[in-house]
Amino acid sequence: MRITYFTTSVALRHLRYGVGQSLLTIGVVAISVLLIIYLQTIIGGLQTRLIRNTTGAIPHITLESPERVPIAAWRLTNKDSTQLYVGETVNLPKAQERIEDWRLWVGALDAPEADYVAVSPVVAGTAFMFRGARRQTVRIQGVIPERHNGIVDIESNLEGGRFLQLASGEVAMGRKLARDFGVKLRDKIRLVGPQGQTLSVTVGGIFETGFGPVDDGTLFMMLRDGQSLLGYGTAVSTIGLKLADIYEAETRAADLAARAPFKVRSWIGDNPNLFRNLQSQSQTSNLILVMAVIAAGFGIASILIMSVTGKYREIGILKAMGATPQEIQTIFVIEGFLLAILGCIVGVPLSIGLLQALASVRSVGPDGRSTQIFEIEIDPTLLLTASLIAITTGAIAAFFPARRAGSVDPMQVIRGA
Amino acid sequence: MPDPKAVIELQGVGKTYVSGETSTPVLFDISFKIMPGEFVAIVGGSGSGKTTLLNLMGLLDRPTVGALCIQGRPVQELEEEERAVVRRDRVGFIFQFHYLLPEFTVIENALMPSRMRGVRWERTHTSRMTQLLETVGLGDKLKSRPSQLSGGQQQRVAVVRALANEPALVLADEPTGNLDSKSGRVVFDLMRKLARETGTAFVMVTHDDNFALETDRVIRIKDGRILADAPTGSR
Repeated sequence: MRITYFTTSVALRHLRYGVGQSLLTIGVVAISVLLIIYLQTIIGGLQTRLIRNTTGAIPHITLESPERVPIAAWRLTNKDSTQLYVGETVNLPKAQERIEDWRLWVGALDAPEADYVAVSPVVAGTAFMFRGARRQTVRIQGVIPERHNGIVDIESNLEGGRFLQLASGEVAMGRKLARDFGVKLRDKIRLVGPQGQTLSVTVGGIFETGFGPVDDGTLFMMLRDGQSLLGYGTAVSTIGLKLADIYEAETRAADLAARAPFKVRSWIGDNPNLFRNLQSQSQTSNLILVMAVIAAGFGIASILIMSVTGKYREIGILKAMGATPQEIQTIFVIEGFLLAILGCIVGVPLSIGLLQALASVRSVGPDGRSTQIFEIEIDPTLLLTASLIAITTGAIAAFFPARRAGSVDPMQVIRGA
Repeated sequence: MPDPKAVIELQGVGKTYVSGETSTPVLFDISFKIMPGEFVAIVGGSGSGKTTLLNLMGLLDRPTVGALCIQGRPVQELEEEERAVVRRDRVGFIFQFHYLLPEFTVIENALMPSRMRGVRWERTHTSRMTQLLETVGLGDKLKSRPSQLSGGQQQRVAVVRALANEPALVLADEPTGNLDSKSGRVVFDLMRKLARETGTAFVMVTHDDNFALETDRVIRIKDGRILADAPTGSR
C-alpha cells in the first residue's frame, strides 16, 4: 500500500466520476450493514426476552439434598449369606430431603471468589391457605427476603406493602393470587402445612413480577416461618444461586457437583430444548450474517472488477507514465475501502432509525399491559463491529481487483491501441 | 563505458520474443545515443521494429541482449518498481492516442506525472504547466474535461503532460498518426519548439517522411536493424 496524494486523488476522482456505480456499491454495503445490525439486535433481543422469561424467576443453579437411593439390605450384610431378605422400595417423603448445614454452605458460596450474584437458601413446599370458608393450595417459599430478591426481583415489582422488610408472620403474594383469593394488604389468612402445622399470617406485600408461576400461586414468607410451617426444623430444601453469565450455568453446576455433596441442577439442564433452540437460532443468525458479509464482499469486488476492466487502458498509461504496480493497487484498495466506509456511514444511521421505529411498536396484552413487541437494545459495540466487518470485507474484496489492476502490462495496452 | 552526457544510449541491443517454443527476433544489434535537446525521428515500415525499439527505450520492455543507459545509468537490470520510477522522473510519453484521464480536467491531466512524483499544487510548477498549456493554445481550456476537446487539442495536452516532470527524454509513438494534417502539423511544430526551448530530447516514431525530414536526425530501421542513422541538416 502506498497512500499518496496521487493514489488518493485518483481513487476519489474515480468514485466521483462513476457516481452511479459508487452509489450502487454504497447501497449494497449499507444494506449488508443494516442486515447485520438488524438481525443481531432482533434475534439478540428475542433471546434475551426468552432467557429472561425462563430464568428471570428461578435460580440459575439449584442445590438440593442428594436423592436417597434405597439400598437392598443384603448389600449391607455378608454377600455370601444364605439368608433370605424380603423387602420393598419405599420413596422417602420429600420433606425428608433437606439441607441441614445450609448456613455453612451459604457462607462459602457468599465468598467473593465463589462469584455468585445471589445465594438464597429456600424452604419450599405446599400448604393450604384459608380465609373464612375459602381454601386454596399454594406453594410456600420460606426465604431470606434480601437474599431471595437477588433471584427474583419482587421488591421493585411491589404493588403495595413490602418484601425486603417482610416481618415474621407476614407473607407476600402475587396480585393475581390475591385477587383470585379475595385478599388485600394487611388481611389475615391461615395456613396449614403438610403435617398439619398451622400458621396465621398477615398479607404484608402484593406484587406483580410478570412471571406466571410466581404471581399466580406462590406465597413468600420469612425462612423461619416456612421452616415451622413445612416441618423443616432448622433445615432448608434448596439453595438457589444466580450467576452473572447465565451461559456458564452448566459448567459451574458440574464444577459444584464435583465438589459439594449436593444434587446440582442448572437452568440449562432443566430446559435442554430451549437451550438447543437458542443455539440453533444463534447459528442461523450467524449464517445469515456470513451471507450478508459475503454478498457485500461480492458487491464491492464485482463493481471494482468492472471498474478495473473499464479503466484497463487508463491503468496501462498511468503505468507507462511511471505509476508503480503498488500505486495502482493502492488506488483500487482505497476505492474499496472508501466505498465500505461510505456504506457504513449510510447503513449505521439507517439501522438505528429502523430499530428505533421497531422499538416504538407496542402491543396490549390480555392483562391490559402495553409491551414492546420487539426487545430492542441498540448496542454501540454491535454498530462498531458491523462497521468493522463491512470495512474489512471492503478492503479484502478490493484486494483482488486491485492486484489485477497492478499487473496490467502497459505494453499490451499500447500495442492494443 | 557509457557516455554520461547522452540522454539515452543503446549498445548492441537486441530483442527476441519467445512464445512457447517459437522465438521471434525483432531487433538486432541496435546501437546509438541521443544527446540533450536532439529531435530524432525513427522511421521504418510496418513490423520493422520501431515501436519495439521505442518501448525498450521507455523501459516498458526489456532487451534480450545489449545494454541500455539513461543519463549514463544502466537500466536494463532494474526491478519493476525502479523502472517505473525512472520512467516517471526521466522519460515522458506521447502515444498515438492521447490517453488523457477522463475524470480529470486539462490542467489536472497535465499535472498528473508530477502528482505521481509527489508534487502537489506547488505554485511555480502549476504556473509553468499553465504557461505551457497557454503556449499550446489551451489557456482557456484549463478546466475543461478531455471529452470537451478536439483530437488535436487532446494530443497537445498529452504533449504538455509528457513534459510535466521536466524529463530528459520524451518518446512519441506516432503522435500525429490519429490527427488530421493541420492538427498533426500543430502538434509536430509544438514538439520541435519544445525540444529547442527546454533542451529535452525528443524521439518520435513516425510513418511520415515529411515530418521526419524536419527533425535533427533520422534513424531508419528495416527488419529490426538500423539501415541509416544520419542528421537531416534541418536544424
